[in-house]
Amino acid sequence: MNYIQEGFITAIKLIISFDRDVYEVVFLSLKVSIIATILSSLVGIPLGFLIATKEFKGKKITITVFNTLMALPTVVVGLFVYSLISRKGPLGVLGLLFTPKAIIIGEFILATPIIIALSISAIQGMDPRVRTTAMTLGANTLQVALVIVSEARFAIFAALIAGYGRVIAELGSALMLGGNIKGYTRTMATAIGLETSKGEFGFALALGFILLIVAFSINISLQYIQQKRK
Amino acid sequence: MEELKLEIKELVKIFNSKKVLDIPSYRFEGKKVYSLYGPNGAGKTTLLNILAFLIEPTSGGVLFTGAEFRNSVEDKRNLIKEITLVQQNPYLFNTTVEKNISYGLRIRGMAKEGMRKRVGEALSMVGLAGFEKRKAKELSGGEVQRVAIARGLALKPKVLLLDEPTANIDEASKGILEKVIAEVNKKYETTVIFSTHNLSLAYRVSHEVIPLFEGRIVASPVENIMQGKIIKFNEVSVFDTGRVKLDVVAESPEATRISINPEEILVSREKISSSARNSFKGRVIQISEEDRFVNLVVDIGEKLKVKLTKKSFNEMALTVGSEIYLTFKSSTIQIF
Repeated sequence: MNYIQEGFITAIKLIISFDRDVYEVVFLSLKVSIIATILSSLVGIPLGFLIATKEFKGKKITITVFNTLMALPTVVVGLFVYSLISRKGPLGVLGLLFTPKAIIIGEFILATPIIIALSISAIQGMDPRVRTTAMTLGANTLQVALVIVSEARFAIFAALIAGYGRVIAELGSALMLGGNIKGYTRTMATAIGLETSKGEFGFALALGFILLIVAFSINISLQYIQQKRK
Repeated sequence: MEELKLEIKELVKIFNSKKVLDIPSYRFEGKKVYSLYGPNGAGKTTLLNILAFLIEPTSGGVLFTGAEFRNSVEDKRNLIKEITLVQQNPYLFNTTVEKNISYGLRIRGMAKEGMRKRVGEALSMVGLAGFEKRKAKELSGGEVQRVAIARGLALKPKVLLLDEPTANIDEASKGILEKVIAEVNKKYETTVIFSTHNLSLAYRVSHEVIPLFEGRIVASPVENIMQGKIIKFNEVSVFDTGRVKLDVVAESPEATRISINPEEILVSREKISSSARNSFKGRVIQISEEDRFVNLVVDIGEKLKVKLTKKSFNEMALTVGSEIYLTFKSSTIQIF
């Protein structure tokens, strides 16, 4: 029991003293997951909008595929991207393996289907009068699209937060693609894994606390948005 | 302001292989108020949606004439900006009243100061001055309708289309909207075309009433519509609604619907002997006033609307429950 108590005390000390090693890991995690989420939303929201608003053959299957991809196992994503960017892989020459960029690619693949699927449902759930109202006020096709997205903003923002929540605590692909290099590709999740196995319980616990705070903040924001929508 | 005339030519709209609109020709002159009057399914909303470019006609179309407008494709975009439709049960964007009303102006690239002025002006017209910062979601049904109309007014369109503007709103809002229709026509010389179920409102507010029935413009407003079939086809035929049998003058035995103008029904306390072939005993079940007239709903097996002057109504001392006779000629019955 003693080591748990000591671990707690060390963790609190590390957090309060703004320990450089701890916060380096925290900032890298936040940075890569924010970049990945932004990239995913740049692709996911327009794609979700198009899938939701256009009629095409195979639309139902496409939506089912994206819904299914929301449950992509992170290790499989890691494995897939690893095979592409490892030195022997087709994109090996780019030298991406074990860089923050590689983590971003993995997280992008994980977050995008979530943002697409939730954007589709956000747009499909919109009142059809939004479109006709904008049209009757003289809006062109792009302006109509922007009004629809703007009216669905709370649901779309919830999609972004869900995407971010998926990648911030992600371990499998970050470990395989980033390599857990100290000061370079070490994220909160990978560091917690490593430090625990090294016996650095306090350090791991400090990161665990911060990760919990981030995860809870995401959940609280989601709930706040859900309430605002009503 | 340059006049914009709308001319309907051979306009047909088919939905699910049913002809919902069939208007060979009609011309809306500029700067006038028109009302489309008719029951549900008459084609009012379909016509307004076509005029507002929301739906395409199956064949034929609408010609827009005015000095600066030609019927080219590139002019269509400019036209869309000159014709504004306020839909029945309108949608307000989830933001403030001000942002709702200024939306159309914003996408037209108007400067902020100009927008603020227009928003204020439009809100005053609909009796909601000072509502700028209110949230759209917190407005009542009547206020939503008025803000939606203000959103259309702010654009100062040449043609303002209103779909059932007075349906499902409170009496106070109805009165205000009536005034707005007249005012926007006078002040901005806007052509207003609105649809309504309320014939009295249609006559009160508009220069011309266009009675629509089953997608066609008919000679007079269609009321007292009854479904049924011709059971005897002759010089004078018999139309059976299942509840009452009426003598009608039918040109084909295929008719399935008839209508009777409420103004052509004679009301009497006693049965009268006349050349009119239809006479029914009934009971007054509803009384409502409309300007100098009184509308009765009389149950003769079918419920018939009857219109008589206030003077006649008072002289006959009618009340709900009074037993009366309704008499009308077979030739006054319209057959469809």
